Amino acid sequence: MRNLTIKNKLIAITMLTCFASLLLAGTGYILWEWTNLRRIMARNLLTQAEMIAENCKAALAFEDPKDSLAVLQALHVEPSIVLGCVYNNKNEIFVSYSNQDTDRAVTLPVFTEEGYEFSNGYLTVYKHVVLEGEVIGAVCLRSDLEPLYVKLCHGACIIICVLLIAFFVAYLVSSRLQRIISKPILDLADIAKNISEKEDYSVRAVSHTNDEIGLLINTFNGMLEQIQRRDSALVKAKDDLERRVDLRTADLTAANERLVMEIAERKKSEEKQTELLETIAKTNEELQDFAYIISHDLKAPLRGISTLTEWIMSDYANKFDDDGREQMNLLSARVHRMHDLIEGVLQYSRVGRVNEEHVQVNLNELVPEVIDMISPPDNIEITIENELPLVECGQTRIMQVFQNLLSNAIKYMDKPEGRIKVGCKEENSLWIFSVADNGPGIEEKYFVKIFQIFQTLSARDEFESTGVGLTVTKKIVELYGGKIWVESTPGQGSTFFFSLPKNMSFVCDNKSETVMNSK
Amino acid sequence: MLKKSHILFVLFFFLPVVSFVALGEDDSKLSREYKIKAAFLYNFIQFVDWPEDKEGSEDDPIIIGILGQDPFGDAFEPVAGKQIKGRKSLIKRIEGIKKLKKTDEPSNSEIESLRKCHLLFICSSEKDNLADIINLVNGQGVLTVGETSNMLKSGGMINFIVEENKVRFEINLSAVKQGKLKIRSQLLRLAKKVVEEKESKDEMS
Repeated sequence: MRNLTIKNKLIAITMLTCFASLLLAGTGYILWEWTNLRRIMARNLLTQAEMIAENCKAALAFEDPKDSLAVLQALHVEPSIVLGCVYNNKNEIFVSYSNQDTDRAVTLPVFTEEGYEFSNGYLTVYKHVVLEGEVIGAVCLRSDLEPLYVKLCHGACIIICVLLIAFFVAYLVSSRLQRIISKPILDLADIAKNISEKEDYSVRAVSHTNDEIGLLINTFNGMLEQIQRRDSALVKAKDDLERRVDLRTADLTAANERLVMEIAERKKSEEKQTELLETIAKTNEELQDFAYIISHDLKAPLRGISTLTEWIMSDYANKFDDDGREQMNLLSARVHRMHDLIEGVLQYSRVGRVNEEHVQVNLNELVPEVIDMISPPDNIEITIENELPLVECGQTRIMQVFQNLLSNAIKYMDKPEGRIKVGCKEENSLWIFSVADNGPGIEEKYFVKIFQIFQTLSARDEFESTGVGLTVTKKIVELYGGKIWVESTPGQGSTFFFSLPKNMSFVCDNKSETVMNSK
Repeated sequence: MLKKSHILFVLFFFLPVVSFVALGEDDSKLSREYKIKAAFLYNFIQFVDWPEDKEGSEDDPIIIGILGQDPFGDAFEPVAGKQIKGRKSLIKRIEGIKKLKKTDEPSNSEIESLRKCHLLFICSSEKDNLADIINLVNGQGVLTVGETSNMLKSGGMINFIVEENKVRFEINLSAVKQGKLKIRSQLLRLAKKVVEEKESKDEMS
């Protein structure tokens, strides 16, 4: 049905409708006829039974079956009645009649009640014989339903004939009339097909009617107009767009060229930077070597000066007056200081230069050793707060770190009861060590300055300090990939923290390698 | 005299009865016959129309007269009190016509009671006086029923006969017509024989 043409669809619809309505009507008619015929048949048979009952009254009253039989035999004229039967008042069969033509229905029905019943293709009626208000017997008639069926068959045949003729007529009529609807639609379809093939939107369909199809055609034309309009607008817009695209492409090309140029420039500058860095590294290296050599070489003449000064002081002790002696002491102190400074520089440069072997260091043993070595005064108590870890590094260097931090804390202690605490905690992949004291503390603005070389916060004469210790510590910690910083409240004390990565080997090796390379 | 006749009567009528009782089977056969006849009498009434003046009012009973020696015994019991045509029925036993005549002139009341009957069954004991009896009730709308062979010839209307153990009847149509009665065709159809005994009427008149 879906793939049929409109023409065939219309014909099919008309014919199906016709067929369905006729079928329904025919079925209805047959059904009505059937019930009606049954009713009529039952009524007729009951009338007959009643007549027989009337005629058998006397015969029953006078017990004369012959007469009854004669009455019953009159039924012969009605061949459809296959069986007739009269009962007496004791419900026994008085007389019975059976149509000779049929062998069927030989068994006599048992009398039940007045009325009729359809069963087994027969209609059976029962009727009482009443004489003066008294039931003296009954009549039973049985009729074959075949005539009924024959009649119904006839009816059905006629209906089928009508159905076929109607079908044919419906075909003829609908195949002519369907054009009224299908033609405009087919025309419209043709036009639409043409338009889509040729893309010519100037064609218009012609409408002849004012019904929905006319409306459809008008709407179609309106749509065509719109499409035409939009098509031209689209063509225009397309040209416009192309132009704009060209413009943008040109812009883009220019920008791209600029970018290429910039990248080249940047590369150049990077190269320059690398060069510069190399130069700096070289310079730095040279500087370090220079510092080492200078300090190393300066130590020898300084020792000479120191020895000479001691000699002069002992040899000419009596020749100097007080003023001279004081001058000489000052000289000796300055020489000492010079020596210390040089020693500090040496130490500092040595940190980077000497490649120390890495070993497992148990800080729980190492720190008390350091404390022992420093031998703090009695008024300062150093405690280790918690268990310290095993670290893998150069033993001397880590010792130096603790030594510097602890001796600084002792050195600057200004409280009568000094407390220094060494602690360690774990943070991700780092060990964070802390050395806390309750000394004078450091103002925040000096937090950076204290780690710079030769920088001390107090006057030179107050504490004997070269300003190298923290710088060396920082260098060692950084050499192992750690960090060092300080937290402090002035007047209450300060805490130095430094971190070491848990697995230092890589960093250490790397560092040491660079150090070796730089050598 | 009276006693003698009584004895005679008893001897004459009851001997066979006794013998029938002794036989047993015959007795039941006989009683069955009279039961059927009793029922038939009632049924005759259903199929016979009396003239309007004879029908009487609805409240009056339909009278069945039994004239002569009653052979029915208790045969009427099953039908006694039965309504006929919507009316009550009444069995009236009347002595034989001889007796009636013996009491000098038959009294008017006796004859009236005969004539009042709708149906008069004349027993075989009145076999010899049939013509007289029929003459008495002629034209009075009395359906006369008998059981003797000369019944119809004597102007009686219906006569019972027994044939192959079956009770049948014959009808004298001219007597019926004369009696201004109408017998329905259904009944006529059932009659063994329908005769038109004109001469009987002539004889009687």
